Amino acid sequence: MDYLTVAMAKGRTAERAMKFLGKSDVRFSEWTDDSRKLVIYDDKKKIKLIFVKAVDVPVYVENGAADVGIVGKDVMMEDPRDVYELLDLGIGKCKLAVAGFPDTPIDNVPFLTVASKYPLVAKEYFDKKGIRTEMIKLNGSIELAPLIGMSDVIVDIVETGTTLKENGLVVLEEMADVSARLIVNKASYATKTEDIQQFIQDMKEGLEVCS
Amino acid sequence: MYSEILANEHEKHEKIIGTLSKRFTTYGYKRIKTSAFEQYDLYSNVRTSINQNEMVKVIDYTGEVLVLRPDVTIPLTQQLVQLNGNLPEEMRYYYVQEVFRQTFQENEPIGKTQAGVEYYCESSPQADAETIMLACHALRDVGFSDVKIEIGYAGFFTELIADLQLTKEQTAELKRLIQAKNIVGIGPFLNQLPIDPAVKEVLEQLPLLYGAPQVVFDRLQNLQVSESVQLAIDYLQKTYEIVELYGLKKHIVIDLGLINHMGYYSGIIFQGYVENFGKPVLMGGRYDSLSEEFGVKLPAIGFACEIDSLVKATAKKKLKERYSIDVTVFYQESRMKYAIDIANELRERDYRVVSKPLRGQASAKDSEYTIQLLEQQNLLADVEETKEFEDFKQLLDSITSKKGVPEWTI
Repeated sequence: MDYLTVAMAKGRTAERAMKFLGKSDVRFSEWTDDSRKLVIYDDKKKIKLIFVKAVDVPVYVENGAADVGIVGKDVMMEDPRDVYELLDLGIGKCKLAVAGFPDTPIDNVPFLTVASKYPLVAKEYFDKKGIRTEMIKLNGSIELAPLIGMSDVIVDIVETGTTLKENGLVVLEEMADVSARLIVNKASYATKTEDIQQFIQDMKEGLEVCS
Repeated sequence: MYSEILANEHEKHEKIIGTLSKRFTTYGYKRIKTSAFEQYDLYSNVRTSINQNEMVKVIDYTGEVLVLRPDVTIPLTQQLVQLNGNLPEEMRYYYVQEVFRQTFQENEPIGKTQAGVEYYCESSPQADAETIMLACHALRDVGFSDVKIEIGYAGFFTELIADLQLTKEQTAELKRLIQAKNIVGIGPFLNQLPIDPAVKEVLEQLPLLYGAPQVVFDRLQNLQVSESVQLAIDYLQKTYEIVELYGLKKHIVIDLGLINHMGYYSGIIFQGYVENFGKPVLMGGRYDSLSEEFGVKLPAIGFACEIDSLVKATAKKKLKERYSIDVTVFYQESRMKYAIDIANELRERDYRVVSKPLRGQASAKDSEYTIQLLEQQNLLADVEETKEFEDFKQLLDSITSKKGVPEWTI
């Protein structure tokens, strides 16, 4: 039996995605909240879920190691891959934004130092504004960078803004809306068209019931 | 053993080339070769998607810049243009050659073997359908069961946006959205642009114009398109109708969101996919406009596949073949002459044979059959049984009755 392999990162988005599928009668009884399993199958043995790091989801899908992936738009923006992006799941909603100390000027300045997990997206954004930048790529605790004077501003995803607020930072400019997307390997879409369209349908139905 | 794996890969490589060549020949294609070095200028003058940074450059003694063959289609077309000018009569050529490109990704080899065909003929649904059939046939020959050929039309997107006056950046962005079938993104992007609602609707529908041919053609009927776009659709539909006559219905997917990936394609374009492999293994299309860049009309359609991708794609399949040797002959010194005779006779019949003097145990685990030639008796053994044989005829009978002709020969 050929499985449909779905890659996603563990966490809230994965749990919501599984909930959606549950509405369409695709259940993962094997799964428990504290499970450390990296590979699980649905009860009908049609879908194989693999848990990978979020930034790796597009890599798995582009190479065909997974047929389908669920991943944040932010990851796709920073590392565009040759895959289909078929559905906006509308979950994991947040914004990509420029943040810093209140009143930090980000227009009509010649130069900015920017710390971000998304250096490519950030650079392109400021390039369009005509501002030269120095990028500092960080992997976490981005908010720290302006606090200790390493950068003028940061570019990061902002959900509630609590972390920013507690560190005395504010959103200076919103750049883009981010939400979880369903991406598909191009070869899989050709060879497993029906299975994938069924999976998308199941997801969509779950979306409608839940929203 | 690593060396063993390597040897198997190379053997597979050769087998696939053999299979493809044979299939191309049955469609009337003749093998050609092109020079290993081409003029750099040839590639800077022609519209192509091959990145010039990727080419491997060499300087000859006169100081002229040459490149190591980055593709076959362009120099072949140029050569034929010089020889014939306009299309005198149809010509069919195939090639199996290394092409050289430096990619920026590590681990990617610079030289890759490509096998492909070029069919120089007037543009017609018949010719295009036959070429698509050949692509599918060749992939099935290699041993894939789940072959899918995605067919699109290179001019479709360009015709659609022809009147829109988009900037270069806008066109690139729109292309990117369509290639990703990003339904969510296309709508908002188009809303920013002042465009005709009818065109907008078609562009928005593009990602959905994918799938089983009948479904796509039905959907197209409900869309309003310009005359030139309609001509493209009619051509595609006619081509598909012939492809259907070839019995390929289940292998075909229509994808109008497939966008020209080679720069010089002008009509039908297609890509081949096989089971459990994440990238296209075959790409092709019609390139009538390429010869026009050399100032003549030499319309053509062709495709190429990368042998390394096919090897990788087959590696994921369970190998039909468990043994690398068909027969191993063990002999006692006094029977050497007979052993040599048997080995020769079997090899004449295309079996893979190894012979060696019997020392200790007569066992060879990578061989399907073992023969023992002892002083008093001749034994033939496979995994199931061991039996005696009198002469070569009896031996051959027992092998062919079970095994038939050697399965590795193509």
